[in-house]
Amino acid sequence: MTPLRATMIPLALRVALGAVFIYAAIPKIVDPVAFAGSVAAYQILPYFWSYLTAAVLPFVELACGVLLVCGVRVRSGALIIGALNLVFMAALTSAIIRGLDIDCGCFRQDGPKTSPWLALVRDAFFLAMTAAVLRYEGLRTR
Amino acid sequence: MAEKSWRKTLWEIAVIVFASALFGILWNRPLLSDAWRSAPAVQAAPTAQQAEAVPMPIGVAQVKELHDSGQAVLVDARSAASYIKEHIAGALSLPLEEATRQQAPQLKGVAKDAVIIAYCNGFSCHDSMQLGKLLIKAGYGSVYVFEGGLPEWRDAGYPTSGGKQ
Repeated sequence: MTPLRATMIPLALRVALGAVFIYAAIPKIVDPVAFAGSVAAYQILPYFWSYLTAAVLPFVELACGVLLVCGVRVRSGALIIGALNLVFMAALTSAIIRGLDIDCGCFRQDGPKTSPWLALVRDAFFLAMTAAVLRYEGLRTR
Repeated sequence: MAEKSWRKTLWEIAVIVFASALFGILWNRPLLSDAWRSAPAVQAAPTAQQAEAVPMPIGVAQVKELHDSGQAVLVDARSAASYIKEHIAGALSLPLEEATRQQAPQLKGVAKDAVIIAYCNGFSCHDSMQLGKLLIKAGYGSVYVFEGGLPEWRDAGYPTSGGKQ
């Protein structure tokens, strides 16, 4: 690989992953009540905790997204994003197993439903991106 | 060296998560304190126009009060079958599907200025909000949505009726 390409690909991956999480965070911050409804639809958390999740989670997503886009504290940001993706995938899997017909609530809180299956595949893709970002970051700082 | 850098990363993760969580909690303080008191949703003082279009949310405590004093009519937005199984004691059944078909749904024996509270299966269910909007369109003046719905009512130990099969 040329040196240019060797630096461009990790950069593009990192910025893209960060941008996805910023994009996911904003509608949830704008309408926390709708997001709390989406969280409650999974029927995992009790009443108040759905709200607490809706209040806190988007800001964690936003912070990690910004860190990745800016290239600051990339390893920490990417590790949190990876952990979040695992949590999302666990929640989606449990929704599929229980046969819940719900919207994943991943991005926009209104509009057409996104099936848990599609969301699961998407999250697996983001998880792979996260792994790649972490790997490049590890090589860079070695 | 490697162990040190991992420790640093763990610290960073803790700081990032803690700071974001704190910020999120402060940002959503009014909402969270409402949720804590089990009075879901915002729109504390809707303008006349808002009140026209969107039903106001109401918490379980107020629903109980209005229910017990007979000041409100509760309307179940779920399917007729779910209603037969279990519903809030004294509630009427008006499935959203049927209301949508009628376009301007009418509740038999309920005055247009009566207090109406729509509910369904809690937060996972948006039918009560849709039904509330339809009822407002149909001319009912004072429509509320009990977002906690049957699950919150039942959890609070308040009376329900139906076959419960």
